[in-house]
Amino acid sequence: MEEPTTASAIISFAEKLEDDSSEFYEELAEMYLQDRETFLAFAEEGKKNKVLLTRTYQETITDAIEACFSFRGLKLSNYLAEMTLTEGMSYSNALKMAIELEEKASNFYSDVAEQSKSLLATIPRAFRKVAERRNDRKLKLKSLLSSIS
Amino acid sequence: MAILEEPIKEVLTLKNYIGGEWAESEGEIIDVVNPATCKVIAKVPISTKDEINMAVEAAKEAFPEWRRTPPLARARCLFRLKELMEERFEELSRIQTMEHGKTIDESRGETRRGIEMVEVATGIPSLMMGYNLEDVAAGIDEYVIRQPIGVFGIIPPFNFPFMVPLWFAPYAVATGNCIVIKPSSEDPISQAKVVEMVEEAGFPPGVWNVVNGGRTVVSGMLDHLDIEGICFVGSTPVARDIIYRGCGETGKKVIAQAGAKNFLLVMPDADLERTIAACMTSFYGNTGQRCLSGANLVVVGEGLKEHEYDAFYRKVVDAFIDAASRIRVGYGLDESVQMGPLRDKSKKERVTGFIETGIEEGARLRLDGRNVKLVGDWPHTCFLNPTAFEDVTPDMTIGKEEIFGPVASIMRARSFGEAIEMIHSNPYGNAASIFTSSGKWAREFQYGVQCGNIGINIGIVAPMAFFPFSGMKDSFFGTLHGQGQEAIRFFTESKVVIQRWF
Repeated sequence: MEEPTTASAIISFAEKLEDDSSEFYEELAEMYLQDRETFLAFAEEGKKNKVLLTRTYQETITDAIEACFSFRGLKLSNYLAEMTLTEGMSYSNALKMAIELEEKASNFYSDVAEQSKSLLATIPRAFRKVAERRNDRKLKLKSLLSSIS
Repeated sequence: MAILEEPIKEVLTLKNYIGGEWAESEGEIIDVVNPATCKVIAKVPISTKDEINMAVEAAKEAFPEWRRTPPLARARCLFRLKELMEERFEELSRIQTMEHGKTIDESRGETRRGIEMVEVATGIPSLMMGYNLEDVAAGIDEYVIRQPIGVFGIIPPFNFPFMVPLWFAPYAVATGNCIVIKPSSEDPISQAKVVEMVEEAGFPPGVWNVVNGGRTVVSGMLDHLDIEGICFVGSTPVARDIIYRGCGETGKKVIAQAGAKNFLLVMPDADLERTIAACMTSFYGNTGQRCLSGANLVVVGEGLKEHEYDAFYRKVVDAFIDAASRIRVGYGLDESVQMGPLRDKSKKERVTGFIETGIEEGARLRLDGRNVKLVGDWPHTCFLNPTAFEDVTPDMTIGKEEIFGPVASIMRARSFGEAIEMIHSNPYGNAASIFTSSGKWAREFQYGVQCGNIGINIGIVAPMAFFPFSGMKDSFFGTLHGQGQEAIRFFTESKVVIQRWF
């Protein structure tokens, strides 16, 4: 399912992205205690993102909208980032990995927000909101990185 | 892509729900088959006349107390029902895909629509209010109160097993009536699940009953003198029989929503990209098995010179065929799938018969869905791929009869007026849509077209829960429609009181 067309496939991808990201940040929090609270907050936010997206989808989908024909040309592999933390990985490398994750996630949510404009307004709005949150995280991570280099 | 987990793991044995009890039927048991996998997923009884009589008796017995239950208390039962439906949203949706075959997006859409009916009916303390006027004469006041009537029967079709009974049931019980539902025996599981939630929500025994079965149950409902009204959704011949014979003889109120042959007009100024996307959902969504599906696509050449019209026609048709040919067909629990199977083998055979007739009558088959290509390794038994004909005229069988499958008939109309005449030459009047950027054409269309549901740049004209589900000509029999305020009026009598105190 490299290029999904259905709303269901997009939402499932988003849910997994949020689950995996939360798990990644929980692991980061265990490994790099100096910014533990920040990473735990990101993990918690990921859970809220998932609830927001699932709820928005379930509350607005109807049989009458073009849910099976909403998305085109989205290569999901473009939005997948490496999330495996290895033992002994330097903090700066871990932060760079997190920045890339946020960059790709933000791009994903922005792209699906653009393509879902024809659906009910709450759907692109939810995607945009998560894209903004992901972008904010990226800025925060960059500032953490610059503070240690 | 991986298949979403199936919520039905073992073959279910369905029972009737009568007077708040789960009751085994003495009738014959038949299989409920998942049309994508061809596996049996449930056993459903074909109940007897005695069993429908018992259900009506239970409903009649529950009525006096239920009608005296304050509307706010009745609404609270519906609030609880809604919450339970939200909790089980995903399970309910996947069950629809398993028993009907539609895609998971379509099933979730159906679940949402059904829940919306319950939501609207929770407003019953306001919706059911009457009205009054003081001093209609010296010292005399007059007012209208709405009162429930008694027991209603609900006979839904197979194509929306969760939602269609809910076009009526929440409004019926909210207004203080009691109901007996006979789900389609082809896909009765959704209603069994609804009843589980009805029980948990605290509806008193006898208010909401379900009797599984076929013609015997339907006849039992129509003949029963204690059933005050029938809500039916299905084919036109049956709808006609129900209102004029069955219910006519026993004096029942009727909502009978029937067949359709919906036209979609594409004007030269339409936004083509979005029009085609809407058309895919309209013609092929739910595998064409809905009364609001697009059937005839009319490319209109109003205001164009001959060669311009030819070019425009070709552009629309090519875009349509291209999009339709790329639709991914398979098991609806695969999230990459855009169209599922037909409900059963006989329905596929019926649609295939229409395709053969179309060829025989001279229409040009541009996309042959009989060449089945699926996502995943599933038996082809109930599957067809999207099909499209060109050079169809309104007098051809495929241009005038309801196919109820994924078949598009593409037609040409030189002018807007000619296109409207085509619509009006058809006996059905369920829905019609126009795709245009012109307010003038949109207004002309909505003003003049004799169909109950009009779409302006909308492919599936499905009214929301707070609007009536309309329909005209051979698509609707009755006076008041399902959903919203009209449903409230259908399920109540207006009693006028004129009062003076000496």
